[in-house]
Amino acid sequence: MVTSGKGGVGKTTTSANLGTGLASAGHKVVLVDTDIGLRNLDVVMGLENRIVYDIVDVTSGNCRLKQALIKDKRFENLYLLPAAQTKDKTAVSPEQMRTLAAELKEEFDFAVIDCPAGIEQGFRNAIAGADRAVVVTTPEVSAVRDADRIIGLLEANELRNPRLIINRIRPQMVKRGDMMDISDILDILAIELLGVVPEDESIVISTNRGEPAVMDHSSKAGEAYRRITRRIRGEEVPLMNLDVPDGLMDRLKRLIGMR
Amino acid sequence: MTRTEHVALKGTRDGLILYLDPTADFDVLMKELNQHLGESAEFWRGAAVRCYAGGREYSSEEKEGLASLLQKHALELSGWLSVPGKGPESQAVVAPEHDQHAQDEGQTEGKALFVKRTLRSGTSIQFEGHVVIMGDVNPGAEVIATGNIIVMGALRGVAHAGATGDRKAMVSAYNLAPTQLRIADLVTRAPKDEAGSEGPEVARIKDNHLIVEGV
Ligand SMILES: Nc1ncnc2c1ncn2[C@@H]1O[C@H](COP(=O)(O)OP(=O)(O)O)[C@@H](O)[C@H]1O
Ligand SMILES: [Mg+2]
Repeated sequence: MVTSGKGGVGKTTTSANLGTGLASAGHKVVLVDTDIGLRNLDVVMGLENRIVYDIVDVTSGNCRLKQALIKDKRFENLYLLPAAQTKDKTAVSPEQMRTLAAELKEEFDFAVIDCPAGIEQGFRNAIAGADRAVVVTTPEVSAVRDADRIIGLLEANELRNPRLIINRIRPQMVKRGDMMDISDILDILAIELLGVVPEDESIVISTNRGEPAVMDHSSKAGEAYRRITRRIRGEEVPLMNLDVPDGLMDRLKRLIGMR
Repeated sequence: MTRTEHVALKGTRDGLILYLDPTADFDVLMKELNQHLGESAEFWRGAAVRCYAGGREYSSEEKEGLASLLQKHALELSGWLSVPGKGPESQAVVAPEHDQHAQDEGQTEGKALFVKRTLRSGTSIQFEGHVVIMGDVNPGAEVIATGNIIVMGALRGVAHAGATGDRKAMVSAYNLAPTQLRIADLVTRAPKDEAGSEGPEVARIKDNHLIVEGV
């Protein structure tokens, strides 16, 4: 599951890029959008116009799982289970989510669950279905605070060892000392760093086009997501050069992959 | 002591003490309390309950709501505990039995709660006695103790030692950088951009002021 607490920090962007990255590496992947009422993973994937059934149709028995899964435009082995747009947030229960996750596990190598913001029902649903958690934050005090809360809740729910992605880092601001330092964030959250994604306008462009940046080899954020994908697959990959001062870069390189 | 996330019930010689998380939403408290009492009230039936909510003041409406909820579970709200000096109702939760000799040597004894994890944002620990945290206290988390608070890591959240008025209480941390620190009735905020002092420090009251010094 990809979660954050705070909204707008990059959960959906991360889900789309991770899912696409894993699919391009040959895995059979499903992206699950659990942000009921605020669905947008389908838009980011450029699949909005193919939606017939959604996750609520599946959990309520309106259709079979296979009918609701949408095949990706680029990859044969990548599917999307879209969120419902018109139904109530509470239309799916944790119990139903657990059943759905078990069914997905039979079919797929990876199920990437995009969470809604907050710590309410949608978050509890995602927890119910997940084996592993990725926490996304930006280098802002409020986002880190919410991430911390989320990590506490994940731990309380036996989802141990969540991993962290710090999104929207601006090297210039880090250099000037205007941005919360990555090592400050790691000091507080004290979980394994999965990756650092720079602020990059190619994310906005690719989001609007419905083509995740991970496939764009000229995109810096895409490069970061390619490395994150490889780390998820268990490879040891060095942190990309973020154009931040050497001292900080050295410390970060040591932190990556450290438990 | 029995507890849920935001409320705790403790039996003492003088009846029950109900601890209410001062940061929690009142409706949440009532819901949790109702459920908790539903599960355990039989056990306490007929007891008098005194409430403690740190520095939090409830409206008379809320207090009435609390009283009637307790009554529903056959418990009687008999008073509020607060920091001494705040009102006529005030009294210490426990009168520490001072061993004068031990005090002279700079020693204190009493019950202690050991917490073997980091307190993350949104968590609150309240304890009648000393609290030792083997981990960090993160921004957005709080520890309230009637005695001392020791953090074997970084204290970045809120700590309130001597919460029922003990001005001899102290707060110590390996890295003392709290959002806010309270001892008894004194409060300080962390100075912004303090040149991060290295090593363990202790905060205590000296001549009516909260001071911080190396251990
Ligand atoms: N690294 C980045 N650089 C630039 N824009 C980004 C980056 N990550 C996310 N965004 C933008 O921020 C907005 C919120 O991202 P999104 O993934 O939808 O957040 P969430 O799902 O957590 O609410 C989107 O408009 C997205 O394009
Ligand atoms: Mg989203």
